[in-house]
Amino acid sequence: MDLINDLLKIIGDFIAGVINSIFGFSPFLADLVTMGLAAVILCTFAALSFMGLTYVERKVVARIQDRVGPNQAGPFGLLQPIADGIKMFTKEDTTPANADRWVYNLAPLVIAVFALTTYAVLPFAPSVVGTNLNVGVFYIIAIGSGSIVAIIMAGWGSNNKYALLAAFRAVAQLVSYEVPMVLALLVPVLLSGSMSLVDIINQQTTLNGNPGIPFIVFFPFSALVFLISGIAETGRSPFDLLEAESEIVAGFHVEYSGMKFALFFLGEYVNALAVAFVFSTLFLGGYAGPVLPPYIWLMLKAAVVFFIFMWLRGTLPRVRVDQMHNLNWKFFVPVSIVHLVVVMALMKLFVTRPALAQANGGILVTPGAQAAILCVASLLILVGSLAVAARRARIMRLQEEAALEQRRAENIAAVSA
Amino acid sequence: MTHSETMTIHQVLFIVMALAILGSAIFVVTTSNLFRAALMLILTFFGIAGLFVLLDIGLFAVAQVLIYIGAIAILIIFAVMLTRGMQGMVPRNSQAVAAAVTVGIIFAVLLLLFGPLRVTVDVARWPVFSLFAGNASPRDVGGIEWTPPNQPIPAMPETYIADFGRSLVDGNQYLLPFLLIAFLVDVVLAGAIFIARQRRPAEVIEDRRRQAEEAAEEAEAMRQAGMTPDVAPLPEGAVASTAEH
Repeated sequence: MDLINDLLKIIGDFIAGVINSIFGFSPFLADLVTMGLAAVILCTFAALSFMGLTYVERKVVARIQDRVGPNQAGPFGLLQPIADGIKMFTKEDTTPANADRWVYNLAPLVIAVFALTTYAVLPFAPSVVGTNLNVGVFYIIAIGSGSIVAIIMAGWGSNNKYALLAAFRAVAQLVSYEVPMVLALLVPVLLSGSMSLVDIINQQTTLNGNPGIPFIVFFPFSALVFLISGIAETGRSPFDLLEAESEIVAGFHVEYSGMKFALFFLGEYVNALAVAFVFSTLFLGGYAGPVLPPYIWLMLKAAVVFFIFMWLRGTLPRVRVDQMHNLNWKFFVPVSIVHLVVVMALMKLFVTRPALAQANGGILVTPGAQAAILCVASLLILVGSLAVAARRARIMRLQEEAALEQRRAENIAAVSA
Repeated sequence: MTHSETMTIHQVLFIVMALAILGSAIFVVTTSNLFRAALMLILTFFGIAGLFVLLDIGLFAVAQVLIYIGAIAILIIFAVMLTRGMQGMVPRNSQAVAAAVTVGIIFAVLLLLFGPLRVTVDVARWPVFSLFAGNASPRDVGGIEWTPPNQPIPAMPETYIADFGRSLVDGNQYLLPFLLIAFLVDVVLAGAIFIARQRRPAEVIEDRRRQAEEAAEEAEAMRQAGMTPDVAPLPEGAVASTAEH
């Protein structure tokens, strides 16, 4: 047992042993208490990372936009999250008149709980997994539907037609972006032949004769689709038209204030961090990496992914709702399906295991060669689809400009006449 | 982890789930607030997913959450929100008693078929039951037995997901239902796209004209039957607005 790698497991076993010996619990109950402790620690980690991420994101986006960001509370503004927290706690907690009180008050709790439950299956190290479900990926997708329920509850319970409309829009966005997300997640699952996140990570290491190549090399297209769908799924910029100030209809949490709003905010950030973790696990090899301890590797990868989120937020303008749905239904979904079929065919054609080659036919290749073939196919689909989409977009833009020019000419003619 | 403890933990969890399922289901059929009923239906689905977890089939539990909560419940909520007058509806209708009786009968049948309940009949007193005595019990005294099963539930094999997947594409098992469902889903998708497609203004005008004709025919038929038509025919020349975003 390696002290550094299995540090948390050693601590957990120690605590279980202490409870067992001192308090006289049976081993099973001691394990149960330790699991409860671990769950509390995991939720605390998520909440604390939420505090840190708000600060980091404000700083990063400020630097991108040539601003300074928070710098008044404490050194470098480091106490800003605490100040925000105090503000949230002490803010007046209003409830709209005639609101459905039960539904209105439960919605923030539901969204926070569902955001935190995603972390139950994330592997932080070989021995530090909440629970190694054999349907881990499927579980993550299913838990995502809980936040949809919470959003509907918030929109309906507020007794405000704008909140309800915003909830409709939010649900439309979330439901539709689940489709390409699932299609993108399906591809690594197919290659690794398992839905367990630990197995998927092991496929990306050099264990059991695997090449040790992260899946982003195999499937760059799927990685891109999953990243963008994840951003849309968590409602972050540039897909944040659910809660943007500039929108006529503000978000579904327009009637919430104080701590309840903070819970919605927490749900959003925790979900985004979960997407970053899942992306690192599925496409970047998770905790696998040389020299450094596994959880440090996972944190580094997730930090890089989250930095990409912040970068996009500071860079891209917000999309319109029709652009968003066009991108999803006319680009991501069809191309994802084509990509899935192509990749499946290639996986059947070029197999790496001799037993499979004998059983089903196919060409026996080394794992590295299979990775190269899949990478080339995925990149071809990615580049080709992007080229087609860019051409279509250019044609549309030219048409719009021509129409605008024509209207301008008509206006001038009308004025001069 | 001793055996007795796991049994008690499982039983406690089962009782919690069962109470959640029953309570939320009763709430669904008795509340007058349709939206809350839909939310409670979600809680019912969650309880059933929990029962699947207790049975050690995570796949079905997750599928339950994904399909029933993520799709069907959301659909129900949308349907509820788009119905007018959903506030203050009376949840009781003329079929409540019939529904309760039906549910009771189904439950009793399930209990007799799969449950621990055994009903034995004294055939000497009730000769008519000899017709059903296909597998007559050795004792012919009437009575009701309650024999809870004593064997532990066999554990699920580790590879049950792979087995499940293979059974769906195995010609000897479930290939035909699987293909039928796939075909049905395809047809539904095509139909949805056909209904939701962007139609040309000419088609819209044609549709409205046809609708007006049908309404007029219906009204004419009703007048001939001596009833007053409850729908006024559509005005002639309904102009379609061009769908342009």
